Amino acid sequence: MSVVLDRGETGEHAARKALRGTLFALVSHTVRMQSRGVIIWGAALGLYSAAMVASFTAIEGSADQLNQLMQAYPKGMLEAFGVTDLGNPANYLHSQFFGLAPLALSFFSILALASVIAGAEERGTIDVLLGNPLPRWQLVAGNFIAVALSLLEICAIVGLLTWGTAVLVDVELSLRHIAEAVLNLLPLCIMFGAVALLCSALFHRRGLAIAIPAFLLFGMYLTDTIGRASEDLEDWRPASVFYYYGSAIENGIDWTHFGSITLIAIAVVFLSALAFRRRDIYT
Amino acid sequence: MSVAIETEGLTKRYGRKARGIEDVNLIVAPGEVFGFLGPNGAGKTTTIRTLLGFLRPTEGKARVFGLDIRRESVEIRARVGNLPGEFALEDRMTGEGLLKFFARLRGVKDLGYAHELSERLGAELHRPMRRLSRGNKQKIGLVQAMFHRPPLLILDEPTGGLDPLVQEEFLDIIEEVKAEGRTVFFSSHNLAEVERVCDRVGIIRGGKLAAVETTETLIDKSFRHVVLTFAEDIDPKPFGALSGVRDLRGDGKRISFTLYDDLDEMVKLAARHRLVNMEYERPSLEEVFLTYYERENGDER
Repeated sequence: MSVVLDRGETGEHAARKALRGTLFALVSHTVRMQSRGVIIWGAALGLYSAAMVASFTAIEGSADQLNQLMQAYPKGMLEAFGVTDLGNPANYLHSQFFGLAPLALSFFSILALASVIAGAEERGTIDVLLGNPLPRWQLVAGNFIAVALSLLEICAIVGLLTWGTAVLVDVELSLRHIAEAVLNLLPLCIMFGAVALLCSALFHRRGLAIAIPAFLLFGMYLTDTIGRASEDLEDWRPASVFYYYGSAIENGIDWTHFGSITLIAIAVVFLSALAFRRRDIYT
Repeated sequence: MSVAIETEGLTKRYGRKARGIEDVNLIVAPGEVFGFLGPNGAGKTTTIRTLLGFLRPTEGKARVFGLDIRRESVEIRARVGNLPGEFALEDRMTGEGLLKFFARLRGVKDLGYAHELSERLGAELHRPMRRLSRGNKQKIGLVQAMFHRPPLLILDEPTGGLDPLVQEEFLDIIEEVKAEGRTVFFSSHNLAEVERVCDRVGIIRGGKLAAVETTETLIDKSFRHVVLTFAEDIDPKPFGALSGVRDLRGDGKRISFTLYDDLDEMVKLAARHRLVNMEYERPSLEEVFLTYYERENGDER
């Protein structure tokens, strides 16, 4: 039998290599397990986005009339939904799809990351997994990285379906602008996912780990949307992460906001690892 | 080599009402097969989950191969194969997929032993978990605990849900593990299997370790079933008057009873008559265990 028992036999280098190995194994396994979800989410959102691009050809010819019609709507309402010029395909796609997409796509990360700890406790799978030499922080970080990668895959599918449709129906949308628009979805989605992960680490109930970030998500969306329409609530908008989301398909990515939201998400993941480090695991 | 498992005053409390374990002091030597016995809720699973770092001890210390359970849990789990008592496996995964994933987590390149174990236990590796019966999931649970040949196996109710033939194969595997000098710590309700493979047993009751003995000692220190057959009818009352005699039954020439001590007095009393036959039987571990609990409950009352 060749079993290593002495601590001295495994050096620091070997220990670090082993840790990298477990993290990589966990991330690649989780990404693989999420692949079906990625295809479903990517196809659903991508086809919706593609349909919006295709529908632009129907309104393109009557954009001036539509814009005039829109003048009749309250200005605040148009601002709330990001409508400035329906004759512009980028603005049309933002108002019809990219302005709302974070609301839907955030649920991919919320559902996935709420399951990591509290969900695995409820299902009874966590003891078998953590029976392996997998540090708790890696369970947290590895799943976060895997979900971020899966989100990137979803964004890629959405982007390709959107761009492909734009090329097919001859709508003027550049690949670069579409790529920026889908990439800009990432920080918000991982941030709400990180909140779900924190709740999953703090509580033992998956339901709570979904409900709290979902409540935060809709609360922030409404704060920003209503804040655009109402001067009374405008001061509250900076408290919402949607305030920093912007319209990347029209204006490109605001990298300061992109980086800041991503950093907040990483900080929340760090807090999740700390919270999970010391707590009992129940099954 | 350090002792395999060592606990000092290990205590886990879940709160004011829920009971965990209290002041558990235990040493399991390397190469030993240790049976951990107790009824449901006695603290077996809490002890195991605390040793593996899933639960944080309220008080006390524990080491596995000299590694501290609080600070070196990952290193401990690298040396341990664990089968949890209540567990589930990801529904969509197959056994093969699970083993490949765990092999990568453990840096195991060769799945030859995993396949050998699967074949011996009859585990179905290519069907999704959701389509497997409890017994088949249990087989995969056993394989994942053992495939990396860990120096310590911690198995919580390993034969639950297995049919008798597979239980027998599992016990053969445990004997092979023991022959390789590896350590096994397992909890079980099946006392016949504990009696067959365990060197020592620990009995936990109400969260407290009530006894730790070699299996032989535990049985030797307990009662005996005695059946005496005489040449003529005898009065059983003098036997009933001996200390340590219980469940006395007399039927003319034949009397039977359970003897807890005072063998010498019983033999001397029997020798006063013409003895035709004497049966003196060791109890099974199961009987010892049940009696132990009945006695403890009686003391408590």
